[in-house]
Amino acid sequence: MIAIAFGLRLGRWGIVGFSLAAFVSTLVQTVGFYQIAGQGPGERIAFGNSILALASQFSALFPPPFRPDTVGGYVEFRGFHPLAILFAIWALASATGAARGDEERGLVEASLAAGISRIGLIGARTTAFAIALVVASAAAAAGFLVGVAAGHETVALPGVIEASGLLVAIGLSCYTLALLVAQLAAARAATAAAGVLLLALFLVNSLSRVFDSLSIWRWLSPFRYYDLNQPLPPGGPFEPRALVVLAGVSIFGAAIAAAAFDFRDLGAPLVRLPMPVRPESQSVTSAAWWRFPVWRGMYERRLGIAVWAIGMAVLAIVFVSLTRTIVQVLLSIPSLLPYLSIFVRQQVYPGVLGFTWFNVAQLLFAALAITYVARWSAEDTDGRLELTLSQPVSRAAVVVERMATLIASALVITAASGATLYYASHMQGIDLNPGRVVAASLMLVPFAVVFASAGSLLAAWNPRAAVGVLGAFAFASYLDTELGSIYKLPLWVQDLSAFKLFGTPLLTGVDGRNLALLVLLSLAGLAGSILAMQRRDVGA
Amino acid sequence: MLREMPTTAIRTSRLTKDYGAGRGLFDLDLQVAAQEVFGYLGPNGAGKTTTIRMLMGMIRPTSGSAFIFGLDSVRDAVDVKRKVGYLPGDVPQFGSLRGSEIIAYLGGMRGGVDRESVRKLAERFDLDLSRRFREYSSGNKQKLAIVLAFMHRPDLLILDEPTSSLDPLNQQEFYALLREARDDGATVFLSSHVLSEVEHVCDRVGIIRDGRLVRVAQLDELRRIRVHHVEIEFAQDSAVPGSEIRDAEGVEDVTVTGQRVTCRVRGSFQPLLSAIGDTTVVDLVSTEPTLEELFLSYFSERKPKALTS
Repeated sequence: MIAIAFGLRLGRWGIVGFSLAAFVSTLVQTVGFYQIAGQGPGERIAFGNSILALASQFSALFPPPFRPDTVGGYVEFRGFHPLAILFAIWALASATGAARGDEERGLVEASLAAGISRIGLIGARTTAFAIALVVASAAAAAGFLVGVAAGHETVALPGVIEASGLLVAIGLSCYTLALLVAQLAAARAATAAAGVLLLALFLVNSLSRVFDSLSIWRWLSPFRYYDLNQPLPPGGPFEPRALVVLAGVSIFGAAIAAAAFDFRDLGAPLVRLPMPVRPESQSVTSAAWWRFPVWRGMYERRLGIAVWAIGMAVLAIVFVSLTRTIVQVLLSIPSLLPYLSIFVRQQVYPGVLGFTWFNVAQLLFAALAITYVARWSAEDTDGRLELTLSQPVSRAAVVVERMATLIASALVITAASGATLYYASHMQGIDLNPGRVVAASLMLVPFAVVFASAGSLLAAWNPRAAVGVLGAFAFASYLDTELGSIYKLPLWVQDLSAFKLFGTPLLTGVDGRNLALLVLLSLAGLAGSILAMQRRDVGA
Repeated sequence: MLREMPTTAIRTSRLTKDYGAGRGLFDLDLQVAAQEVFGYLGPNGAGKTTTIRMLMGMIRPTSGSAFIFGLDSVRDAVDVKRKVGYLPGDVPQFGSLRGSEIIAYLGGMRGGVDRESVRKLAERFDLDLSRRFREYSSGNKQKLAIVLAFMHRPDLLILDEPTSSLDPLNQQEFYALLREARDDGATVFLSSHVLSEVEHVCDRVGIIRDGRLVRVAQLDELRRIRVHHVEIEFAQDSAVPGSEIRDAEGVEDVTVTGQRVTCRVRGSFQPLLSAIGDTTVVDLVSTEPTLEELFLSYFSERKPKALTS
C-alpha cells in the first residue's frame, strides 16, 4: 500500500494535469456540439455528414465516428479518441520514468533497500498508474456529463462508464508495454524504444484503415481493440471481449516486465549489446564544436535531432501516401463534392496535404519545444545550470543560447521533413509549389519558438512546474484555435493561439501579420525569460 | 611564480539570505586575504552552501553584499567567474556525456583551458575521461568536479565539501593539489564539516552555526579547540595508570573500567602519552568529536550568539 501511495505521490502532477485536460477537453467539446450542431434533426444530420467528411481526412489518426449527429458520437470522436492518444503518451512518459528515470535518481534502489520485492515494485507502480487513469477517465466522463446537462439533454450512463473504462484499458496496456520495453533497453534509449513500439502499434492499426495490406497485422495493436468500441452514442458498438483483450495485454505486459526486472541488474538493461571497449584516456576531446555556442548544444543533442528528423521525414512520406487515397475516397462520394469544392478550386491535393500534414507537424513541433523545455528544467534541478553559470557566461547568454540551439535544431528537422514532403509528393504525382513548401516548413520554426519561449519563461520562473504548465498552455492554445470560432471568441484571444497564427501556408502562403505576431510573442517570451532568469536564485 | 592580486580576495558585509523561519544566513561579515586557505566549518544545514552560492552569485542576498577581488558578486558575476574555480556541493548530472566531453563543453564556455593541464590533473587522480558520466562512481564524479574547478588555474577556488566521496589516498592527493595552488598564489575558500580536514589544510577557519558566523580562528586556536574521545585498553598483566592519566594536562572525563580507560583529550596528545609511560597498551582508539559536541564543549551553550573574530 505504501509503495502504491508513493507511486501516486510521484505522479501527482501528472494526475492533476491530465485529469484537468480530460475534463476541460470533453466539456468544451460537448458544449461546442450544442453551439454548432443545431437543434432540429435535419440540422444535426447535416452537421453529422460534415463531420463524417472531416473525419475521413483524419482516418489515419482516428477511426470514423459513429453517429456524429449525436452529442455522444461527436464527443467520442472529438474528445475521447484524442484522449486515448494523450493517455498513451502519458503512459509512455510514466512507465519509462518509473522504470529507468527513478532508477537513475536512486529511488528504485531506495525502494528495494526498504524491503519491497522487485515484482512488488512493478505491481505497485502499475496499480498506482491504473488508479491515476481511473481518476483522469472519470474526469473525462464528468466533463461530458456536465456538458450534456448544460445542453438540457440526457445520455445513457452505461455508455459513459464503458467509454471511460476503455480509456483506462488502453492507457494501462500502453503503460505495461512501455514498462516492458524499458526493462530491455539501456536507460538513455528506454523512452525512445518504448515510444517507437507504441507508435508502430498505433500506426499499424490506424494505417490499416487506409492500406489493406496492414490489416492482417492490426490484431497485434491494442489500439485496434480500443477502436472496436464506440459506446458513447446511442446504439454505438461495445465489444466486451475487446476490453478483456486490453486487460489481458496489461496483465501480461506487467508480468513479463516484472520478470525481466527480476532478472536484470539494477542500472543495466536486460539485453546488453556488445560494446567496443574504449581504451582508458586522460585526454580532453579536441573536437572543435564544443568551443562554439549553439554548435555544442546541437552536437550534444545530435542523436535526438537525427531521430526527430528521420521520424518526421518518414511521417511526411506516410502522409503523402495517404493523401492520394484520402482524396480519391472523398471525390468518390457525390454528397461530399459541395463540401470539397473549396479545396478543388484551390487544388485539392495541396489543400488536403496542407490540412493533414501541417496539422500533425504543428503538434509534433509543439512536442519538440516541450522536450527542450523539459531538458532546461532538468538542467536546473539536477545542478547542471549551476555549474554552467560558474563559468564566465551571463544568464542572458545561457537563455539566448538555449533558444538559438532550439531554432537550429528545428531548422534541421523541418528541412528534412520539408524536403521529404516535396520529393515524396513529386514522386506521387502531386506537384506542390516549392516556395510554399519552404515557407510552410519554415513557419514551423517560429511556431515552435513561441512554445519554447513560453517554456523558457516558465523554466526561469519555476523549473519543476515548467513542463506541466507549458503542456497545459499548448493544450489551451490548441483548444483556442479549435473552438475559437465555435464559441465566437474575440479575435485577439484567437490570435494568442500559435496554432491559429500558423494559418494555412501551404495553401495560401505565409500571412505576414500572423508571422509578425508569432515573432512578437516569441520575443516577449524571450525577454521575459531573460528578466526572470536574471532575478532568480539558482540551486536554491 | 606568484600571481599579483588585490590583498583581499573575499569580503562580505552584513551578507544575509533569509529563507524565513530562522533559516538562511544572517549578517555575515567576513574577509579572506589573497593567497590564504580559509576553512569554512559548520554542521549540515548551518549555511555553508548558502554562503558559497551567494559568493558565486547563484542566489541573491536578501541584504548585504559580497565582493570577490573587489568585484560585486551579483553585479559583476561574469567577471567574478573568470577568476574563480568552483566545486559545488552536489556534482550535477551529465547523463551520457563522456568525462572528456564535459570538460570540453565547460572549458569551451570558459575559454583558455590548457588541455595538457587537464590531462595532468586527470592522470594525477587516475580519472578515465573516456567513460560516460553515468558510468562513473560517486568518487570519480567528485574527481571530475575537482578537475573542472582547477582546470583553468583560477585565482580563487571556492570548494563546497570537496573531499566528500573521495577515498583517503585521493584525499591526500587533493590536499597536495590545494597546497600547490596556494604556493602558486591562489586563494582557497573551502567548506567542510570535518574538523581534521580543515585543520589539515587551512590557515584560518570560520565556524558557522545556525546561519551565523560564531568564530573566526587561527589554526593554533583551532588546535586548542580540538577535542578527541580516546579509548585505551591495557594488557591484562599491566597496571592501569588511572591517576597519572587523570592528572595529565588537557585530559578530562576519565573513566576506568577494568583494563579499559576512556577519556577526552583537549589539544596535544603528549601529556596523555607521557602518563601512559611504559605501560603495555594493546589497543588505542582516538575519535574526533562531532561538530555539535565541539560547539557544546567550546561554547558551553546550545545556541551560541554570534561572536566577532
